[in-house]
Amino acid sequence: MNVREWALVAFTILAQMSVGAFVVLGLVHAWAMQRYSPDKADQLSDRALLAIGPTLALGLLASLFHLGNPLFAYRAVFNLASSWLSREIALGSTFALLGALFAFLQWRKIGSFELRNVVALLAATVGLVLVYAMARVYMLPTQPAWNTWATPVSFFVTTFLLGTLAIGAAFVATYWWEWRGGRLQGSALAEMLRPVLRTLALAGIVLLGLEFVVAPLSVALMATGGAAASVGILTSQYGVMFALRLALVFLGAGVFGLWLYRTALRPGAETLLGRLAWTAFALVFVSEVLGRFLFYATHVKIGL
Amino acid sequence: MAKQLAFYLNAGACVGCKACMIACKDKNALPVEINFRHIVEYEGGSWMFRDGFAIPCNVYGYSISLSCMHCQEPACVENCPTGASFKREDGVVLIDQAQCIGCRYCEWACPYGARHYNEATHTMTKCSFCQDLLAKGENPACVDACVMRALDFGDLSELRAKYGMVNAIEPLPPSDLTKPAWVVTPHPDAARSGQGTGAVREEI
Repeated sequence: MNVREWALVAFTILAQMSVGAFVVLGLVHAWAMQRYSPDKADQLSDRALLAIGPTLALGLLASLFHLGNPLFAYRAVFNLASSWLSREIALGSTFALLGALFAFLQWRKIGSFELRNVVALLAATVGLVLVYAMARVYMLPTQPAWNTWATPVSFFVTTFLLGTLAIGAAFVATYWWEWRGGRLQGSALAEMLRPVLRTLALAGIVLLGLEFVVAPLSVALMATGGAAASVGILTSQYGVMFALRLALVFLGAGVFGLWLYRTALRPGAETLLGRLAWTAFALVFVSEVLGRFLFYATHVKIGL
Repeated sequence: MAKQLAFYLNAGACVGCKACMIACKDKNALPVEINFRHIVEYEGGSWMFRDGFAIPCNVYGYSISLSCMHCQEPACVENCPTGASFKREDGVVLIDQAQCIGCRYCEWACPYGARHYNEATHTMTKCSFCQDLLAKGENPACVDACVMRALDFGDLSELRAKYGMVNAIEPLPPSDLTKPAWVVTPHPDAARSGQGTGAVREEI
């Protein structure tokens, strides 16, 4: 692993987290609108929305470090006809533009609600197609460790797991910010925080279950799909890191997720709630970074 | 059939002397770490010990000299995000150096290790079939340098008529991946791609 491959780790993780956060935030927002009111829903999600943009921008910036000639990065979209890499970059840029447009409209409350809704749905769709395209980039016939359906499935699990826990962390940060500004009294945020955190924690536990199905399955697919060499590297050279990655995601989404859920059942304990949400997110983030590192570190090309 | 330039190797005659590799390096002024044409040495078989002596049973070894295969379905051209990689009318696969952004994606896609990142130009480089020499009516540098006369080149259909259809022997990957424009006369001990029992001893 070198700078170039770390650039890919950063880009794929941050871009997928942005897509996941955008989609999860949209779902929470729709729920809050139904249950409470559009105004209250905006109070909950507008700050979190503004955090997604910089995350994606950082990811796209990181991807430039993978190039020999970063100045001419725009040329990467010239072969949409046959290159999944071109499609990935085009979809990533489109998601960034649509997301930024939506964030701006939503922030300044420009345009009708319906119009903003259409922009948001469009951005979310492009984002999800982006995650699929990111997976297809690696599904090359010369890369048996990557060329399985485990690649798209694990990319989507990463997307939603990180997205869910990042939004949880963003909500408690918004809550803390409002509390510090003394604006919490009678605000909708206090009312909504606990049910939202409970739902997010449960979603995290379900996604953890999926991850624990996909991770061993991907190793099995490597072994049967002509990537025995990759399994060898993963279990010998990186065995400890692989175990650590699984342990951290279990601790974050499972143990801390459950703790967060139980704490959010009763009123009070705001400080603990915040710490739990952030710890769960941090642990899962580190685990996903390690998982993506292993993804790049263990691939073995067939041929010469 | 459209014209498709191709290389030929007589793997039974190749002694692995690497004269082709050096001629190529010289012709293209390549840096130390890059060889457009490289040599793979493949070995197999076993021996037994008796009374302190090793008695060979079926030990074999052969060398394969290979460059870019100028594939009929080049994975590098398909996957290149900028369109810098292209296939010329005569079948030669080339890189427009002004267009390449050095993302190295083609390196992952190519099953023959024919794509080389140049640290000085920050772009990918590869065998160009000595297009300048071809234009002058001369042979590629590697073909002329071969002391065993094991290398040849020409139109793929003509090479196949002359030397046969084999294009995938160990340790090369199966030819259905990219349809390499290449013909090889296998070494007598060579197995088909994917059926070998030996191993690569050295790859330069």
